[in-house]
Amino acid sequence: MLFNSIVFAIFLPIVFVLYWFVFRNSLKLQNLLIVLASYVFYGWWDWRFLALILFSTLVDFFVAQELQKTAIKRHQKGLLAISLLCNLGLLGFFKYYNFFISSWIDAWDLVGVRMDLQTLQIILPVGISFYTFQTLSYTIDVYRQKLEPTHDFIQFSAFVSFFPQLVAGPIERASNLLPQFKKPRIFNSDFAVSGFYLIIWGLFKKVVVADNCAFFVNQIFDGTHSYSSLELFFGAVLFGFQIYGDFSGYSDIAIGVARLFGFRLMVNFSFPYFSRDISEFWRRWHISLSTWFRDYVYIPLGGSHGSRWLQIRNVFIVFLVSGFWHGANWTFIVWGGIHALLFLPLLLAKVNRAYVGETVISLVQVPRILLTFILVSFAWIYFRADTLAIAHTFILKIFSFKDVTLTLFYATSKSQLFSFIICMSIFIMLFFEFLAIQKNRKEVQLTTYSAIFISLLIMLMGVFKNPSDFIYFQF
Amino acid sequence: MLKFLKKVGFIVIGFLLLSYLISHASLWSLRQSQFYKPTFLTNGVPQTQFDYIVLGASTGLTTLNTQTIDSVLHTTGLNLSVDDTSLPNQYLMLQHFIATGKRTDFCILAPNPKNYNTLEHTLSDNDYRFLMYAHRPYVHDYYSQFKGTRAAILQYSSWMPTLGVSYYNAEVFYPSLLSLLQPNKHNRFDDLGNYSYPDRAFVDAPISQFQDTDLTFKNSYLEKIKALCDLHGITMICYISPMKGLKADVGSADYTIINHSDLLKNSGYFHDGIHVNTIGRAQASVVFARDFKSYLGIN
Repeated sequence: MLFNSIVFAIFLPIVFVLYWFVFRNSLKLQNLLIVLASYVFYGWWDWRFLALILFSTLVDFFVAQELQKTAIKRHQKGLLAISLLCNLGLLGFFKYYNFFISSWIDAWDLVGVRMDLQTLQIILPVGISFYTFQTLSYTIDVYRQKLEPTHDFIQFSAFVSFFPQLVAGPIERASNLLPQFKKPRIFNSDFAVSGFYLIIWGLFKKVVVADNCAFFVNQIFDGTHSYSSLELFFGAVLFGFQIYGDFSGYSDIAIGVARLFGFRLMVNFSFPYFSRDISEFWRRWHISLSTWFRDYVYIPLGGSHGSRWLQIRNVFIVFLVSGFWHGANWTFIVWGGIHALLFLPLLLAKVNRAYVGETVISLVQVPRILLTFILVSFAWIYFRADTLAIAHTFILKIFSFKDVTLTLFYATSKSQLFSFIICMSIFIMLFFEFLAIQKNRKEVQLTTYSAIFISLLIMLMGVFKNPSDFIYFQF
Repeated sequence: MLKFLKKVGFIVIGFLLLSYLISHASLWSLRQSQFYKPTFLTNGVPQTQFDYIVLGASTGLTTLNTQTIDSVLHTTGLNLSVDDTSLPNQYLMLQHFIATGKRTDFCILAPNPKNYNTLEHTLSDNDYRFLMYAHRPYVHDYYSQFKGTRAAILQYSSWMPTLGVSYYNAEVFYPSLLSLLQPNKHNRFDDLGNYSYPDRAFVDAPISQFQDTDLTFKNSYLEKIKALCDLHGITMICYISPMKGLKADVGSADYTIINHSDLLKNSGYFHDGIHVNTIGRAQASVVFARDFKSYLGIN
């Protein structure tokens, strides 16, 4: 079920009414309703893959129970290995099997040996990378004795499958979300209204900013050879806004929907395009994933402690794994590698935390913001391109400066209209974000009238006829 | 909870009211314009009597140039073809033509030739161009015959115009703004409703073989259009426009047919497989005028 669909517009009020009006006196029934609603939400796409969620839930629930029962380290390690094997095994099979097979064939092909291995026609279950990481964090935290395991299977199922963030995050930590399923729900009007505002704001980012940018981005990335250097450059820039509007829009809607049910999810995006360096960008972009990798990969590896070489190794491992998490393609790995290369100088010069706690932006920082944005945009080329060869061609053509026309953006009345809508929507988005930053807020806070205004913009500028899928569903 | 519901209710009602006003204003603006064919017919065509009208899809729009035909035959014609449409839309356009109080002696049907065979009817891509008349019974009935989300959106726009205006915002809302500034602007057609694909240099490439393609004329809308024509004393002629390398095998004798499917024997006349370029258009229009002449009773 998509957040920007009519089905969801019907589904959400029904679940809301049942939750707050019919089952409000029973915590257990409220949690059960969340589980059922979540399974309907997910099953709407493909009910067969509900079995995977159920499997993942069962494995981690029972592994955590057993972890609590045993004090023998060897047994605990064995149980953790079962969880890792099951979750990463599922992920590995559904997401990476074909990649490893084809890479293996390609590698042998390089030395002249032809392998006759078959890839499989595998459907990637939506959101598998998100919910496996979420359940893994639970088991790892129980293993580390940072968290008491829950003995309530419904609570745990609700935590794993919570529909607002099931398919594209934020990837919640058990220590934040699970306790919320244990507490009785008290309806907080202001909190729920803030959620409603976030839904509107998220829809604006998705339906207006992202989906309009997709009009040019798809053309440019599908026909790299046909466009000028400047058009390609703006294609990369627009993809930056598309993926931001798409993914952060989804996160905002997810957080907003969760608030309607009394749940506080973590902030996933904190105005990343106002970052003043790459390090700050990664503190503002996909926060739930970057902190996951920080806590479960980077710090266990030693983090920024140890020798310089160890630090470099750790940074590369985290960024490469993060890139690979996004998709089974070398383009994502290179994307991660580029970010590692951009981040390393800051780490080695010990200026990677230069802007921690400094949220308000001054005019003199604008060039730094622009430079960071351009660097991020160039890295996005690898993220968006289907193959490394296309990405290389794309970048080489930008720097050839052979043709600096922008015909694509104004050649027809349709492209003029899209250009106008894109400029307007990006300006409005950045304007609202800038105001939020200057007021030291963690999110854009609409007022009653600005909510109506943004709703009207969605109506008049949104893409409804041929909407794009949420990009992060493929991960 | 009450506070929440009041707040959300205020936003939702405020949005619905404003969007309703904007949508109404938008459709009103389009109704005053000549931007799309339906309003062009109402506001941009002062004549009420025509010798013939061309009703078709992009093939009719770009093949038959009424200016050329009229210069040859000294007639008064009007091209009401709309690209990306099918015979149901042509039926709707004929209903609209009659509803505006205009008359014609001949109705030249010029859909995509394959459309003569179509048995299942679906909403066409450009059917939204009647949205500003969604409150009229014949338009509402037209939309309501189709299934699916798009058809429902157009159908229910008669009482909730926000649906259609938001769904087709690029095609409806922005043209309505443009129409406020330029009420006489047409969306890619001239004062007689004609349009042509851009000029291209003639590249001589003779077509030596024509493959036969069967046209069964089983589309149920042919009957409907014929019945409506008969009711208003209009003679219906089915025109089969030139196709690159295809010759239509016409099995039906139920309708009056002008078959020009294999008229143009050179690729240089074509824009693509079923559309002619300006050179092909001139050729096709002159030959059509010659054949059409016999129906007009002109010597």
